[in-house]
Amino acid sequence: MHSLAVHFLDINLATGLQVVLLGFIGGVLSGFIGSGGAFFMTPGMMNLGVEGVVAVASNITHKFGKAMVGSRKHGEAGNVDKKLALFVLGTAVIGIQLAVLIASRLFRGGTGHGAAQGAGANLYISIVFATILLGVALSMLSDLIKTSRQADGGGGPSTKIADFLARFNLPPMIYFKVADTRVSLWVILVVGIATGYLAGTIGVGGFIGVPAMIYVFGVPTAVAAGTELYLAMFMGAYGALSYAYQGFVDIRLTMLLYLGSLVGIYLGVYGVKVVNEKIIRLVTCVIILLCIFSRIIAIPIYLRQLGYLTFQPGWDRYFNLVSKFFLFSSGILGCLVILFYVVRAYRQRRKIQKTLQTAAEPVGEHAEAGLA
Amino acid sequence: MSIIMISSAAHSEGEELASSLASKTGWPSLNRSELVERARERGIKLGRLETSIIKSPVVPEKLAKERDLYLAFITTILCEKGRRGNLIYQGRAGHLLLPGVTHRLRVGLMTPDEMRIEKAMKDLRLSREKAEVYLDQLDKDFDKWVRYIHHADRLDPAQYDLFVNLYNVSLPNVSATLCGMAELPDFQPTPVSLRLMANIDLTARAKVELAIHESTRNLDLGARAVDGVVTVTYMPRQEGAAEAISKVLKGLEGCKETRCTMAETNILWVQESFSPASDNFEEIVQLSRRWGAAVELLRVAGPDEHITAGAKGLSTSVKGPSTEMDSASYTGGVEEDGREPVLDDKGLTQTMEELVSIGRSAGGQTISGARQEIIERIRGESNCSLVVLGDLFLEKGHEARMRLMRELSLAIRERLKAPVITADEMKSRFLFGKKQAAKLLGFTAMVVCIYALVFSFQAPILNFLGGDIHQHWRGLASVGVALFVPFVAYCYSTVTGLLLKLIGID
Repeated sequence: MHSLAVHFLDINLATGLQVVLLGFIGGVLSGFIGSGGAFFMTPGMMNLGVEGVVAVASNITHKFGKAMVGSRKHGEAGNVDKKLALFVLGTAVIGIQLAVLIASRLFRGGTGHGAAQGAGANLYISIVFATILLGVALSMLSDLIKTSRQADGGGGPSTKIADFLARFNLPPMIYFKVADTRVSLWVILVVGIATGYLAGTIGVGGFIGVPAMIYVFGVPTAVAAGTELYLAMFMGAYGALSYAYQGFVDIRLTMLLYLGSLVGIYLGVYGVKVVNEKIIRLVTCVIILLCIFSRIIAIPIYLRQLGYLTFQPGWDRYFNLVSKFFLFSSGILGCLVILFYVVRAYRQRRKIQKTLQTAAEPVGEHAEAGLA
Repeated sequence: MSIIMISSAAHSEGEELASSLASKTGWPSLNRSELVERARERGIKLGRLETSIIKSPVVPEKLAKERDLYLAFITTILCEKGRRGNLIYQGRAGHLLLPGVTHRLRVGLMTPDEMRIEKAMKDLRLSREKAEVYLDQLDKDFDKWVRYIHHADRLDPAQYDLFVNLYNVSLPNVSATLCGMAELPDFQPTPVSLRLMANIDLTARAKVELAIHESTRNLDLGARAVDGVVTVTYMPRQEGAAEAISKVLKGLEGCKETRCTMAETNILWVQESFSPASDNFEEIVQLSRRWGAAVELLRVAGPDEHITAGAKGLSTSVKGPSTEMDSASYTGGVEEDGREPVLDDKGLTQTMEELVSIGRSAGGQTISGARQEIIERIRGESNCSLVVLGDLFLEKGHEARMRLMRELSLAIRERLKAPVITADEMKSRFLFGKKQAAKLLGFTAMVVCIYALVFSFQAPILNFLGGDIHQHWRGLASVGVALFVPFVAYCYSTVTGLLLKLIGID
């Protein structure tokens, strides 16, 4: 029986710092966009040489602990619909189990082409990652463009899907008190399995779960984010247990990610408070598109390892470099934009400490003075 | 001069009761259809709002502004009509309008299903089956509308003064009963209730102006008026908002002063008496500065003040120097014209002025009554991130006070979906003191130890997690990961949370 431990990365100081940086950027983005930040951290770790399945396993384990802390805070704010979370969870477990099964088989199964072990799983994870996130980014972009054109400023999410599904009224319909919405059990089943499968495959749950709750179920944004985090806690626990049972969790990576992410998340959340919603959505779209591009660039490496493409193995280094460049530039760019707004808002707040006062009646000099 | 608010479901004789009452009393009457017509004329997209709330399971958040505008607009019309004298209003949830105003008689009308079905069959020429289905759906839609617009349950008995069942009482008798009830001192206007109504009116008119004017309609604003002073809060990202707000409100009738406070959110501070010299004040100000929040004060008048004023749910706003209430002049709620109530505002004005001077005021008001009155008054507070409950129910014993505080806290949390804490908890939850310093040191030491151990013994740990040892202890390894990871996350998040608190970023 072979030893799986050989697939864990040898972590030196430089690699460790890079993982912490990935965690920090992922945390900032996570706090800012409301997703788990896995779309950045998972490929980021893969670029550092971590096996895809180990990166996913370590990240889902990291997400588990983070969600546990975060959902407690959301719960205090009344943003958690536990009933909805438990309904989605019931079906998401099937999705996670399916994902773990596929990823493990692809990792261990070999390809018959003399490929490096893990290339099949890496290719599969990369393709699912790019396809799903491309769909999310394009729909966000289209929604953003449409709402920008609206005369009243728009700004809210589209309700077309929820309205369409509501027409069918497929029984049994379930009422969720906190979210104040009625959803068909069948719709919950489909969304739950999809969320679980994606969480287990690419470590991305919030990116599907939150938009699904908003667009498909019609849940208010704050409740969607809180409920998703509550759900992520259970899904993360289940994913962590499953991957740990298979022997893919690298606890060191999880701990290094925490060092950065738990600090970054505070800055991201602060950014949301001070940045215009349209800018938030635009920045999110750009970051996701750059991440997708970065993953697509890495795909030829896995195709070569599997024997579907032929080129010099030395080129892998260059593909990896370009992929790494796009990934890090997306994260760093996003981080810089967020930090720019955070600093600007902080300075603005310091500048305007006094309440502005103006007399409206009688209209006169005092009013103008107050404004100045 | 009373306002009778009749709430009834569709096809349930509500309009008939209102017109019978109007003909008996000679008072003007207003119904929902007229309000809706006026709202449409003013350009409020009510159809979109109704369709979203009633026909779809999804209520887009972007319609929250439309809802606020609608509520503010109908409030202005009610206040305008109500200011002229007596008024009878009939609608879906009229009893929830003009919250806190004591000279309202809130009447709920229950009509037997059979009567409603027959009325619907006659009015709409429907078969019995279709009428039953139609009314059933309509009631569900109404419930949803009331929940979204008023954040309340339509049939909650606590929201009514009288609930009438037409099964046993005839419409003319109900009408006669209401005429008599409206004459009772409990439902007569007092200077304080009129003043509250004026505040509600000015708040609503300010909201309508701000929501409709081109320069302010896309801003995220909160507004509250107290005795002619309109306090408007706006988000830090909305540059130039203060200037635009002031220009829009400049000509508003009754607006003596506009105060614009830049705030990301509001902290609602509820207690019986305030003092700018208190520790609680210092802590609230510290927290509001860190959060970029404005502080709204809600003073709950003690039971003595309540009895003296002689009206249920006495509500007033405070302005000017504090003076003592003259208890000898109690008139059963009926006051002479032109007499001002004399109030000791227990430091509210002084504290509010202090908050204004440091740029953190979101206004303040006084209410009296129990839990229900407090809940009713805070119903519309959507931009509130934290509610701090200070000294309340002081006349009660310790145990009773704790229980009442706990019940109030749960009710507010349910209503506002915001965290509710007591003033004593504020320091430990949001500020940094000696206890927090000790906690920080303890948890930092623990985190350092955990990281040092894991990175010093990487080989055996990895062997256990994915190597040869793992092959024999898979279950134990997975349980170990599931227990260890949240523990690390908890310890480290405590450290980061406390550190950020220490440097003032949270």
